[in-house]
Amino acid sequence: MKAAQVIMDTGAHAAALAVKSARVDVVPGYPITPQTSIMEALAAMVENGELHARFIPVEGEHSSMAAAVAASAAGARVFTATSANGLLYMHDVLHMASGGRLPVVMCNVNRGIFAPWTLWADHQDSMSQRDTGWIQYHCSSNQEVFNTILQAFRVAEQINIPVMVNFDGFAISHCLMPLTLPPQEDIDRFLPLHEPEWRLDPAHPSSFSNVTNASEYAPFRQMLSEDIMAAIPLVKQAAQEYKDITGMWDGDTIDTYRLEDAEVVALAVNSMAAELRLSIDILREQGIKAGLLRPRLYLPFPAEDIISVLPKNAQVMVLDRNYNFGHPGGILAAELKSVLFGRRNDITVKNRVMGIGGIDLTRRFMAAEIRAMMDEK
Amino acid sequence: MLELRINGFGGQGSVTLAHLLAQAALENGNQGQALPFFGVERRGAPVRAAVRMSATSIHAHSQCELPDYVVVMSEKLTKEAVNEGINEFGAVIINAPHAVAVEKHPTWQVDADAIAREAGLFSADGPFINIPLFGAVCRVLNIPQNIMEQTILNKWPGSGERNLGAAGKAYNTVTQIRG
Repeated sequence: MKAAQVIMDTGAHAAALAVKSARVDVVPGYPITPQTSIMEALAAMVENGELHARFIPVEGEHSSMAAAVAASAAGARVFTATSANGLLYMHDVLHMASGGRLPVVMCNVNRGIFAPWTLWADHQDSMSQRDTGWIQYHCSSNQEVFNTILQAFRVAEQINIPVMVNFDGFAISHCLMPLTLPPQEDIDRFLPLHEPEWRLDPAHPSSFSNVTNASEYAPFRQMLSEDIMAAIPLVKQAAQEYKDITGMWDGDTIDTYRLEDAEVVALAVNSMAAELRLSIDILREQGIKAGLLRPRLYLPFPAEDIISVLPKNAQVMVLDRNYNFGHPGGILAAELKSVLFGRRNDITVKNRVMGIGGIDLTRRFMAAEIRAMMDEK
Repeated sequence: MLELRINGFGGQGSVTLAHLLAQAALENGNQGQALPFFGVERRGAPVRAAVRMSATSIHAHSQCELPDYVVVMSEKLTKEAVNEGINEFGAVIINAPHAVAVEKHPTWQVDADAIAREAGLFSADGPFINIPLFGAVCRVLNIPQNIMEQTILNKWPGSGERNLGAAGKAYNTVTQIRG
């Protein structure tokens, strides 16, 4: 048996390497900072023959997702990537992918939204696409990006729902870290070639996505809603089987750190949640029983796992890197409160918005914020 | 966990220096991380990069606010670089043609410009100082010289005498000015 290989690489290249080892067939792409290095790497791999796929350069993100949808409907395994306003420009076609039940996998490299322009990370882009019917992961490390893309293809193709794999621009995408590459035969065992039950095929003409009357339309939407919820056990199964094959584990729907006896729980996603582990250690040294709860899955929001894992009477400090416009605070806090209402009345939820547009979130700063939140009513 | 911040000017090769240091950590049996700060890049503008080395997994993803070492790629940036933040017991490594020291902090000096010029290492912006600075930082961090050399050879296979010579010279001439 071949051993895993450890290299040093950036988060963006880790994504490209995962896509290559997923043996994708089609990659439509349009550049946008900070995602561009993923597309550059994939274009180079196709050009030099390392990746036997069709690379389709397009004139904008709307076309990029349209090409992804068409290729997926034709039975191809498809990947694309974007960031910020590129994701927003796709919004219309994101619904086409989910409603059309097409298992496209896309990386969104999180970046704050225009206007005004910013290059750096916050989570307004991915979280503003909550209602498009895509499954969404949020990743905390280069290795998790690699692992999650493979798990995402598996879940997407099992359930015919597209999956978005999110990670922070620059803090992950341009961060050089050790990366473990499992042997290709292990990846092939985890993720066999894509064999769709149905595909558009000129030899057997059929129509796809016709106008429906209400009695046809409503069941389609109901099915999509139910199937998105049914992704939760598949996400867990994919994480477990990936661990069985590769030995690597990033959590399943959630990831936790020092949570079991915690009285104060920090809840956050992406790279700030990795840094938060160090904040938890600082707070523990100060005698505060702190722990971390990181939803790895943002959509479907892992309600039952969160309800069952939160220690009794915990104060949950939700650190949102986004705004929930029209409400004070952020989107994750609203999601959490809706999950807890009537189920866990012992839990107190407090919330701060921070790190907008890439403001650096250090372990000391976040530990101090959590301490200050403890004294708030 | 050991944290470094590199302060330089755009075009001096701070990203490559950060990558080399993170790769040397891995080569030396540790975990390494290079996290350059990407702004709206311009040649000549002040730039910075974070580097971390650790025996265990690295979870930090912020820029280093209070690093254990500040690497100053140009003497002109010394004050600004130190004022940006340094650990109370942190040390400073400065590229300067003469002995310089920072108040209250252990200071090392290396003449990376002269070493690069002498080795014939030039970029579009002047002497290619990240190779000698890499050698100097390895010495200060007690990374063995053979690990330093292997890291350069891994990055540029067959890169030859000029790079290895310049890094080695800096490794052996970096001087502690203040203890």
